[in-house]
Amino acid sequence: MSFLEVRCLKKSFPSPEGGKTLVVDVDKFSLQFGTQSGMKGESGSGKTTFLHLVAGILKPDQGEILLDGREVSKLSESARDRLRAESIGYVFQSFNLLQGFTCLENVLLASSFAGQVKKPWAKELLDRVGLSQRMHYYPRQLSIGQQQRVAVARALANRPKLVLADEPTGNLDPKNGQKALSLLKELCRENGSALLLVSHEVKVIDAFEHQLRWEDVNQVPSSTIEE
Amino acid sequence: MFQSHFSVIILLAWRGLKQHAFSSFVAAFTISMAGGLFLSTWKIKEEAQKAFVNSSGGFDAVLGARGSKLQLILNAMFHLEASPGNLSWEQYELIRDTRGVKEAYPIAVGDNYHGYRLVGTLPELFQQHEWKTGRKYEVQGGGRIFSADAKEALVGDFVARKLGLSVRSKFHPYHGLDFDEKKRHEDTYVVVGVLEPTGTPADKVIWIPIKGIQKMEGHDPAAAQSVSAVLLVLRGAAGFQLDMKYNKQGNQATLAWPVAATLASFFDKLSWFEDILALVAFFVALVGALIVFATLRTVMHEKKREYAILRCLGASRLVVTCVVLAQSLLLSLTGALGAYLAYGGIGFTAAHLIREQTGVVMDPWSLDLGYLAFFPIVIVLGFVSGLIPALQAYRSSLSENLSPKS
Repeated sequence: MSFLEVRCLKKSFPSPEGGKTLVVDVDKFSLQFGTQSGMKGESGSGKTTFLHLVAGILKPDQGEILLDGREVSKLSESARDRLRAESIGYVFQSFNLLQGFTCLENVLLASSFAGQVKKPWAKELLDRVGLSQRMHYYPRQLSIGQQQRVAVARALANRPKLVLADEPTGNLDPKNGQKALSLLKELCRENGSALLLVSHEVKVIDAFEHQLRWEDVNQVPSSTIEE
Repeated sequence: MFQSHFSVIILLAWRGLKQHAFSSFVAAFTISMAGGLFLSTWKIKEEAQKAFVNSSGGFDAVLGARGSKLQLILNAMFHLEASPGNLSWEQYELIRDTRGVKEAYPIAVGDNYHGYRLVGTLPELFQQHEWKTGRKYEVQGGGRIFSADAKEALVGDFVARKLGLSVRSKFHPYHGLDFDEKKRHEDTYVVVGVLEPTGTPADKVIWIPIKGIQKMEGHDPAAAQSVSAVLLVLRGAAGFQLDMKYNKQGNQATLAWPVAATLASFFDKLSWFEDILALVAFFVALVGALIVFATLRTVMHEKKREYAILRCLGASRLVVTCVVLAQSLLLSLTGALGAYLAYGGIGFTAAHLIREQTGVVMDPWSLDLGYLAFFPIVIVLGFVSGLIPALQAYRSSLSENLSPKS
């Protein structure tokens, strides 16, 4: 059985002209337990919106998203918050670390909302991403590559069943990008988390055995969205 | 620290304010100042009034020349203002022997020493009178009370410290109630004792025998048999009878009685000033509330993305709302504590000034319901100021603040 199943999913946004622009139109999509998928797509083609729909950040206009047997779009907002807290890890392109908190605190915060704070695990994660000596540093005191590694550790803090990664290497140089990607894949594998990564970079997607093209998943041509 | 939602909320609120340290400081400081002013205008007047009433030195009434009761009290009990006139020695003897008068002590004023008043009276005042229930005047070690016929002085504790007077010190009095070095009397007085402190205006006086003032070199010989006022301790309903006799039917003298009511009328005369201060404090409080509101709105606006990230990590709307409310509570809590500190500073200064000027000891720290109620009132006001920003945080869109349209 699939861990994530998406059926007839549609999402549109109001356009400046007053109408609506369809951004996501996914007829069928699925992800198995523990698998790692890389999905390639052009920038501005609706990949982030798709990830937000899966994470319950956005509500679809129509369609179904079944995550671990639960219909995400039918959950109340607080239930979707709980779902994210307990089952989903998210890695952003721009890291989105909380600037007023140290690396360790950023990781601990991510697990606090699920009520499963385990400091040794948070420290172990930071150790795994090579930041054991910088746990008490603030994000501004770290390099870009180190910040993304903290974001990777944070995404795994709540031992999620699904990790969504949105262009995680987009702001990194090739060396740091490769390092962050390897860590992300490795940690997801060790934790048994499914990983869905979206990127416009071929090199990044090539690192995955299971590869997808966003154009094949989404029935809305990217040119339509940009218009 | 991360074990409960409550501790996470407090941590997020605290760090949020810390990141906007200057705005947060200004908001808390404004609340402190507003609250301090509020407390000061209200408490200092109340405490000062209480202190003045309690500093009547154990006397129930004052008999003096025809005129203002308040001036009589201020002159005879608090050693402020000029004497409204004199009474004859016979008038003193008459009231002393009146039924219902338990104690009567004549006083005479008209001279000073470096600005501190010389008050002539009888030695019995210090031997028999209780300035407070169960408390008679006491003379510090090595001293004694002056003799009725000698040029001797008993000095209040405050004056002794201020002027460096001690037993065996000698001084020449100066004519008038204000110090003028050209008006020195030739008489020489010797300090024979220093009073133990009482926290009343008696501490600010140099006491000498009444004959000393009456017969001071250079004084009008016609005044040698007169007194400035008579301090009275009454029995039972004597106050009503004497009030009738002197104030309503007579026209020779004025009886200032009851002391507390006369003093209250004095403070009522200052109420306009209190109203102005209260108005100022109200507007400062309003500005304080607006600053809290503006600070939280700014913090909220700048942290929209951060709150969206928290939501993405699984924080509920309620958690984010509580963070904003906790920030308003932290600001108002700090402000309220600061207000007590500000009041402490103002109260201490006011108490010091009142003591310096009048000898009356005011206790600005006394606790009462209003003083304690101030704290929760400030907290509630701060909470209300945070409601709109908190509501905005509650309603802010998670997806929009994460900029998902790509």
